[in-house]
Amino acid sequence: MEKVLNDYLEKVEKCLKPMPVSERVDIVREIKSEILELQSENQTAGEILERLGTPRDLAKAYIGDLLEKDTKFSWNKVLTVCAFYSVVGFSGIFIIPSLLIIAPAFAASGVLVPILAAVKMADYLFHLGIPYIDNIGIVLTGIIELNPVGEFIAALPIGILLYLAGRGAWKLLVIYCQAVSRTHEKIAA
Amino acid sequence: MNINEWKSQLKRGTLEFCILLMINKKPCYGYEIINELDTWPILAAKESTIYPLLRRLLKDGFLSSFWQETTEGLPARKYYTITAEGKAYLAAMSEEWNNLLTAIAGIRGE
Repeated sequence: MEKVLNDYLEKVEKCLKPMPVSERVDIVREIKSEILELQSENQTAGEILERLGTPRDLAKAYIGDLLEKDTKFSWNKVLTVCAFYSVVGFSGIFIIPSLLIIAPAFAASGVLVPILAAVKMADYLFHLGIPYIDNIGIVLTGIIELNPVGEFIAALPIGILLYLAGRGAWKLLVIYCQAVSRTHEKIAA
Repeated sequence: MNINEWKSQLKRGTLEFCILLMINKKPCYGYEIINELDTWPILAAKESTIYPLLRRLLKDGFLSSFWQETTEGLPARKYYTITAEGKAYLAAMSEEWNNLLTAIAGIRGE
């Protein structure tokens, strides 16, 4: 084959760079096949080149078709997905474990505080002498001194508050997970 | 009046149909398809149109292809054959084409 025709094929190959190698090879082979076919019909290199158009235009026709076909794919979408996983990944590292610990710990504390205060009050009222019971108590040294009955009464709202905080953390966790999965669905659609 | 714009739109819409019709009759290679289309001025199309189109039909699974060596010192040719999916697609296209012709005939009042 003449040098101009070989150069032509090389240029087409170069312009097809965005495509996978196997496709490029096949495309060039097909064009080469036609060039040889045209030559066998005694067409000159000049006529063949005129017929095929510039290598750029020919290659662009293949690539244009490729891009048109893959309209579902876009860089914007790739970036969105990357941003999504970055945000979810980083925030998830902190938010999910924090809330997961806070929620049950607060809720359990909310239940425990009044129970323990009740135990201390019972000990105080009935002189049960439970060991280490003095370790339980609401201590606000210097501000307020409560006896076990007062402590029990104070423990009730504190318990409720702690329990509500635990439930709130759990709700936040659920909302966070739902928001993530909703966003994920939106992106995947 | 520029009829050429309309003609090229018509061609764009029907080339796929014509190519599938051709390949449905017998396996064809690209140059052969271009040559046959060339015999119909309204369908004449360049390499830069036909090869990418064949490639897309291949990727969509309507065609399959194979390389065949030839005798008489000619180069190997890439032949295209129609798949079962391609036949179904072609049948659907034929039906739509008939619908279009019927509609045009109706509007013309024939």
